[in-house]
Amino acid sequence: MEHFLLSWTNPSLLALTAAGTLAGIWIGAIPGLSVTMAVSILVSFTFAWDLNAALAVIAGVFTGGVYGGSRSAILLNIPGSPAAIATALDGYPMARRGEAGAAIGLSTLASFLGGMVGVAALALGAPAIGEVAILFAPRDYLLLAVLGILLVGSLSGESLAKGLFAAALGVALGMAGLDPMTAEPRFTYGSVQMLGGIPYIAAMIGLFGVAEALHQLREPEALRATQRIGRIIPPWPRLKRHIPLTLRASGIGVGIGALPGTGGDIAALIAYDHARRGTRAPEVPFGEGAEEGVVAPEAANNAAVGGAYVPMLTLGIPGDAVTAVIIGALFVHGLRPGPLLLTETPHLFWFTVGNLALANVFLLLFGLAGARAFARIAEVPRAVLIPLILVLCAVGTFAIRNSMADVAWMAAFGVAGYLLRLYGFQMAPIILGMILGPLMDASWRRTVIAAGDSLAGAAAEAAGSAISLVLIAAIVLVLLRAALKARA
Amino acid sequence: MTLPRRSLAALAALPLLPWPARAQAWPGRDLTGIIMWGAGGATDVVARAVTPAAEAALGARIVLQNRPGGAGAISTQAVHAAASDGLTLLYGAENPQLHKVLGLSQIDYADFFPVNVLARGVAVIVAGRDKPWNSLRDLVEEIGRAPGRLRMGATGPGGLPHVVGAMLNAVTPIRVISVPFDGEGSGLTALQGGHVDFMPVGLAAAAEHIRAGRVKPLAVVNPEPLASLPGVPPVTADFPGFSRYLPWGPFYGVWVKRDVPAPIRERLVAAFRSAAATPEFAALMERSGNVLMNISGEEADAFLRRWQSVTAWLLHEAGATRRSPDEFGIPRP
Repeated sequence: MEHFLLSWTNPSLLALTAAGTLAGIWIGAIPGLSVTMAVSILVSFTFAWDLNAALAVIAGVFTGGVYGGSRSAILLNIPGSPAAIATALDGYPMARRGEAGAAIGLSTLASFLGGMVGVAALALGAPAIGEVAILFAPRDYLLLAVLGILLVGSLSGESLAKGLFAAALGVALGMAGLDPMTAEPRFTYGSVQMLGGIPYIAAMIGLFGVAEALHQLREPEALRATQRIGRIIPPWPRLKRHIPLTLRASGIGVGIGALPGTGGDIAALIAYDHARRGTRAPEVPFGEGAEEGVVAPEAANNAAVGGAYVPMLTLGIPGDAVTAVIIGALFVHGLRPGPLLLTETPHLFWFTVGNLALANVFLLLFGLAGARAFARIAEVPRAVLIPLILVLCAVGTFAIRNSMADVAWMAAFGVAGYLLRLYGFQMAPIILGMILGPLMDASWRRTVIAAGDSLAGAAAEAAGSAISLVLIAAIVLVLLRAALKARA
Repeated sequence: MTLPRRSLAALAALPLLPWPARAQAWPGRDLTGIIMWGAGGATDVVARAVTPAAEAALGARIVLQNRPGGAGAISTQAVHAAASDGLTLLYGAENPQLHKVLGLSQIDYADFFPVNVLARGVAVIVAGRDKPWNSLRDLVEEIGRAPGRLRMGATGPGGLPHVVGAMLNAVTPIRVISVPFDGEGSGLTALQGGHVDFMPVGLAAAAEHIRAGRVKPLAVVNPEPLASLPGVPPVTADFPGFSRYLPWGPFYGVWVKRDVPAPIRERLVAAFRSAAATPEFAALMERSGNVLMNISGEEADAFLRRWQSVTAWLLHEAGATRRSPDEFGIPRP
């Protein structure tokens, strides 16, 4: 317990966690600057520091960064990170209606609650969750990806056919680069640059950021809504209605976050889909600014932070890219991150739990404190805002891996995205395809290879596994419901 | 004009001055260090751990960037395309030595000067903890009883498991299902989940899982036993034929372009030699199961050539290459 409270009571650790959280919110809000990148720079930066101080900053940046992605998603329709794509779908329409302040308030509260559920799951269930997470076989990742790709139905907007086209486009784009299993170059046309594939973050920044900027140029200035920023925190009865959804989305976040092959981005999309299917009568339709569409993904992606720490602290297996970097940091600081970390340095576990909880409190404070000022961004005249967005997009894309080729990709995606939007195509399915396509590709081949190149063998193995059967049942259920709805 | 004739002549000759005179001012600005693999990976950790001490010795900052992709081909090409002024460093692993035979790129470490080959990893063959085998021989016999049934975790062509698997196959023919994962970490996760049966893997990735008893070490791929893994026999104990490939392992180092002027090379070599000799770095390498090498220049070049010759031919004979090592003048081991 004393270790749990260490960072709450030690003034310098308290200050470092606060600084980390604030920095994380900014880093998260700028598209292209990722938490993974920030944390790996911190590893060099904090090389000579005390371990607790280094971990305090890292936990702050991680928590703040995952939340920060929602800021730019709501205000500018540019998700700061892939985990905030789902937030943009309803957050941005809310801002367009003049409710940017309320959207930020809701996303902050949902992130806080989600983050706390993640911390609680870490504190209470870590060893058990970790052991279940490693039981997921390649076929289960395949099933999970299939479940994810069914989201297309929720993300397609006016036409399912266009949604499917967009998702297929995303899958094809995601295939470019070096085949991870045979090292065969795919769609590279002899270019060494192309061996690295097309980074989906560059595509995301182009499709959302640049395409949005181009789109806005078409609108008359008068359409900009004046922001009603009187009330950031919605009244209690409204909030109360969202609590069950927040908790369910947080559960999704913890589970997906704890799986070593998936993270906050997939968790947020699945939670959004869950909200969309599960909410009987939203006050505002989804896609036009439904509050549920902001609450669910934001709760899920912050709950995924606690989830990602679970296999890292209990088994020495990273739950996502950020925890992989944290494992490197622990090594550099003289610890031995692995399955024995918990038994040999139990104080580290409780320190991390306490620290993450503290970072979530700061997230709540900073998030709500800055909401009013941030909401004003939605009122900035376009002549100022659009050039700023474009500069931000270019800088952020370059920062992904210091490549000008990526900036060119981003610009091209911007123009293509603008044209696709004119014809009623949605952007989210493209990114969904780019994220899930490679996961499906690799998991499918791994499944079949492991079964000795036999489909029947793979099916037999799935039939004998409880996890696979549950996932298959979930897929069947989603398809059945869609079929019933179509008939009704 | 009172400028003496001699000064004028000296001024005119300035661009012709030999390198040592101009190198006085080097580096003059921050250096750039391009890391071949992503944040948090083994190459990244080694790079970020050695750099602070090298910066101090050099008296200049080295700005580190991860530029992963194409199994290292993208950053290799980027550093190769930069100016030969010694201001752009490549922090890499063994991968480019196979790029030619795998048909990925025409650039390998022959085009670079080894500032320092910092450390070498050692491979270990591990099995799931509930498996009945207690030695590599047990495993090979089980494979013989059920050919093509057992699953080996791998990481794709040219990866460590692939190469060690090819060595084992060359020493005693085996037939297994090789399941490629995204990296050693994901493979070890699958091993613990029971999705594969065994896996050759770098000790750095497996050490803590072995210590916790979650995976069972069968043999170290080294001519001698390792102090850090007492009681685990070397592969040569059961299969002496392995010795012609050893010592072998992944490695990490720092390179600049081959045509960087000699005085600059020397300063870099001196800086990284002292950085790799710090007790902190040595302790980190020890903890992560690597063998500290700290070699440069000729000695490093010889190591790199031998590694390439052994590995490229091994893969070629296993039918895993797209081009023959002969085409690139890579000699047989």
